[in-house]
Amino acid sequence: MSKESTTIDVGESSNVTKSTSHVVVDEKKKKSFVAAASGGGYKRGLAIFDFLLRLAAIVTTITASSLMYTAEETLPFFTQFLQFQAGYDDFATFQFFVIAVAIVAGYLVLSLPFSIVTIIRPLAVAPRLILLISDTVVVTLTTAAAAAAAAIVYLAHNGNANTNWLPICQQFGDFCQAVSSAVVTASIAVVFFILLIVISAIALKRQ
Amino acid sequence: MKSGQAEIVETSKGIQKSGLMSRRIAILEFILRIVAFFNTISSAILMATTNETLPFFTQFIRFRAEYNDLPALSFFVVANAVVSGYLILSLALAFVHIVTSKTQNSRIVLIVLDVAMLGLLTAGASSAAAIVYLAHNGNNKTNWFAICQQFNSFCERISGSLIGSFIAVVLLILLILLSAIALSRRH
Repeated sequence: MSKESTTIDVGESSNVTKSTSHVVVDEKKKKSFVAAASGGGYKRGLAIFDFLLRLAAIVTTITASSLMYTAEETLPFFTQFLQFQAGYDDFATFQFFVIAVAIVAGYLVLSLPFSIVTIIRPLAVAPRLILLISDTVVVTLTTAAAAAAAAIVYLAHNGNANTNWLPICQQFGDFCQAVSSAVVTASIAVVFFILLIVISAIALKRQ
Repeated sequence: MKSGQAEIVETSKGIQKSGLMSRRIAILEFILRIVAFFNTISSAILMATTNETLPFFTQFIRFRAEYNDLPALSFFVVANAVVSGYLILSLALAFVHIVTSKTQNSRIVLIVLDVAMLGLLTAGASSAAAIVYLAHNGNNKTNWFAICQQFNSFCERISGSLIGSFIAVVLLILLILLSAIALSRRH
């Protein structure tokens, strides 16, 4: 009897500890579940905003790349030896711009599935982390392309007296216009990317 | 019970281990910030002290090249100076991250500021790179002459000072990565 009672006692105490630990575990599960339900709300909203921003950034980058690609002008006079033409491939920097922004547009299209995954599962960390890391690399690439092209466009508008570089915009007006618009559009895309990174960072925060 | 105790000991060890991992990440961030600071400040100083005077001159023109003859290069100097100032100031925040454990909100602020500085630094470095490329190669179509053929040491210095800036860009990307990983961890 005493043995039974001791075993029962041991059993009870073990049951008691089990139940308390279960209670603790259940409370933890409840807390995490509640946190999940409440955290999932604003994270899902952020993910939807992220998806929409990505769509806008795709449109912007494709516009910038095609504006630069189709920027050419032929002046209406020519001599026997020279023809006064300007195209994007006369400048190595503009070639870099077209290729880089096209790559960025392709990346954005490929990142749409990841964005959809973050909408469906707002608490998953891995897709958001992947998106943040690759967005950082892409923001660097886009900023580099836009800034380099902007330096050349500034030179084309203003020239440089010290190095005897003449401003070609005075001759090639349309070409200059198209190229400047391409640079401005790429800068808007950079702003979108920075917003995307900020959204991913806020959504990565664990409660 | 024993298994429960073992679990509790294991999870507390796990918390200790991940706390150690977070501390290691914070220390690595601190070190990377210091290295990036040295890179940007040396790039700025190297570019700002670049000038060359050719040993001949006429009555009207003097053949001198300075970094502020080209506005993209002076933007480069300003951008590098601003980013190096930011990196020094953010060292304080990075040190707090090593010591404290509840760093979520300050890490978000740090990521946002890091991204802004990354954009500024990349813009400065790549616009200077475009101008340096033009100085090396010129452009036939627009009759832009390659000035490197005359000003050799000027050209070498401005090309060399770009390297430090690009290394700092890579380091900033790594810093953002580390901050994001530290943000997404459980502890």
